[in-house]
Amino acid sequence: MISLSQAPQDKQLKIVEFQGGHGLRRRLMALGLHKNDIVELDSRSILRGPLLIRHVNSDSSLALGRGIANKIIVEILDK
Amino acid sequence: MNVSGRVINIIDLPGTYSLNPSDDAEKVALRHLFLEKPDLIINVVDASILTRSLEMTLELIELQQPMIVALNMTDLAEKKGIEINIEELQRQLGVPVVATIASHGRGIKRLLETALLCMEERRCASHLRWSKDVEDRIHDVERAIPEGFQVVANRRFTAIKSIEIEKRSFFRMLEEVSLPLKEAVDKARRELEQRHNAPAYEVIAAERHHLAMKIFEESCRVRRGKRIGWQDRVDDVIMHPLLGYPILALVFVGIFFVIFQVASPLEEFLLKPFGALRIFLGEGLGDGILFHVLDGLTQGIGGGLAIVLPYFIPLLFLMSLLEDVGYLARVGFLLDIFMHRMGLHGKSISPFILGFGCNVPAISATRILESRRDRIITSLLIPFIPCSARTTIILALVAFFLGPWWAMGFYLFNLLLVAVLGRTLSAFFKTASPGLLLEIPSLKAPSLPNVGRKIYIQLKAFVQFAWPILIAGSVVLGVMQFAGLDRVVNTLLAPLVESVLGLPRELGVTLTFGFLRKELSLIMMLQSLGVDYRNLMTVINREQLVVFTVFINFFIPCLSTFAILWKEIGRRWAFVSVALNTSIAILLSLLARLLIN
Repeated sequence: MISLSQAPQDKQLKIVEFQGGHGLRRRLMALGLHKNDIVELDSRSILRGPLLIRHVNSDSSLALGRGIANKIIVEILDK
Repeated sequence: MNVSGRVINIIDLPGTYSLNPSDDAEKVALRHLFLEKPDLIINVVDASILTRSLEMTLELIELQQPMIVALNMTDLAEKKGIEINIEELQRQLGVPVVATIASHGRGIKRLLETALLCMEERRCASHLRWSKDVEDRIHDVERAIPEGFQVVANRRFTAIKSIEIEKRSFFRMLEEVSLPLKEAVDKARRELEQRHNAPAYEVIAAERHHLAMKIFEESCRVRRGKRIGWQDRVDDVIMHPLLGYPILALVFVGIFFVIFQVASPLEEFLLKPFGALRIFLGEGLGDGILFHVLDGLTQGIGGGLAIVLPYFIPLLFLMSLLEDVGYLARVGFLLDIFMHRMGLHGKSISPFILGFGCNVPAISATRILESRRDRIITSLLIPFIPCSARTTIILALVAFFLGPWWAMGFYLFNLLLVAVLGRTLSAFFKTASPGLLLEIPSLKAPSLPNVGRKIYIQLKAFVQFAWPILIAGSVVLGVMQFAGLDRVVNTLLAPLVESVLGLPRELGVTLTFGFLRKELSLIMMLQSLGVDYRNLMTVINREQLVVFTVFINFFIPCLSTFAILWKEIGRRWAFVSVALNTSIAILLSLLARLLIN
């Protein structure tokens, strides 16, 4: 299990846990990210910039700051 | 609007993800729903991200008010391989669902007819059932709500929200109003937390999430492997960690040059008749008051038509185009790290970009930022962003007389200034900016009617509001010139204008009028100096041209901007903005004088 910011690109990832306060969790849930959801990492920005992830079920794209991505713990799903 | 003979009011609310607002824009939607009690809610849903959209739909259903769903962007859903069974969706949700493709105008008529029917029958949405244990907890709280309690929407909704809300002020309020109710809420939350090993609001949110997914699975089929072709390929390039930036730079430079190439010749062409008219008036009417008034009128009207519009319209067009296509959100992604250096994050990009059009809606747009700190810093920075009025001045003065590369340099310097200023301002605020969390909508082909409508709205505002000010200002100056008043004001301001800025004394009045609207100073400059546009360089030199542009560009936000600053972030910060702008304008003007000499 690793944080989203360390995850490999273009592999299916299952969200296992949200670390961090409930303010952050609320924002994430409002944007449709819940535990057990499956996402894919589409792209990383340069240096320590944001990540672009895609929610597999709803096919919606989100840009996440690196700090936030550090707090999302995922599990790589082998297909 | 008029539908089948009935007149209905349609109110467009800001996009919301949930009825638990996290920023001011979402609060507006919430406030409206509860205070105005609309007759019907039309929930516009993005079919291409249906599971996401349904979560909001489920929240709205809890309100148990008349409601219909407009299933929009069905064309995009189809391209993604999502097949939606509308009857099944309707059955699952319990509210009418009408498929629409708004960008093509499809389904709108049917939507409005269904809306009317629903309103007449007052068919209310009825709530859906969640997991048994959660439902039991909700019932427990519902029963504890005392008679005469000011429920929000209905008892069930109130019960759910009571369980969800985490604010201490809310608990205190509950305690004061009804102790048994507070105890029931506490008990329900405890039981949920113990049973599910997660905070109460997370349990509730998870319920909606699961229900949304369940409804999606039962009413839709997804043909996997059918990904949209061009959108993904374009995105790979536009948002590429390395390629994205040169492309962004190219877009920026491209916009600049396109506007200039279109506007300059147009401007020259349109100025001729007005110049001729002024000469004609001068010959016919001599130097009386009538001449000055008519001359002012001509300058105001001519200025708007020949100087402002040729730059303003192409600028509006290109910005609306970019917004429509979906490029602006992607710019937020690309520029996030640079925004971090300024102590902000990528979401502030949207207000900034709006600021290039006009500062006023840009400052309103800061409502999408979730923290007050971000809002204040962004709002203080926006008046430094060259709005279309200022861009017009930069182009009409610097580009026209000194060449486009000078103007480009000016622009870049301006952006650099914003960055440095942002960094400095952030240092004054102790808390850090919350991280970036930005939804990136799918790329779509621009819809020219949409773009046209956006341009029309902005143009209308200019014609109705700004242009009359230009005309009135010019006329007032004309009268002042006749009465000799302008000389009085100029003498008073001479220390600043002549000594500090090195500008001709006559420009004193001009600079002050610039407070009303920036373009006004451009037109009045010509009036005060008594020259024709093309002969401007005969009365001022290059250094003065640059200093004038610098000063006008940065000093005091225009009246409308000031007003909206006051409204959005408060009186104190509005005056801070004025002080900040004025001091920087003076500093930079001095710097410019130093460098050019």
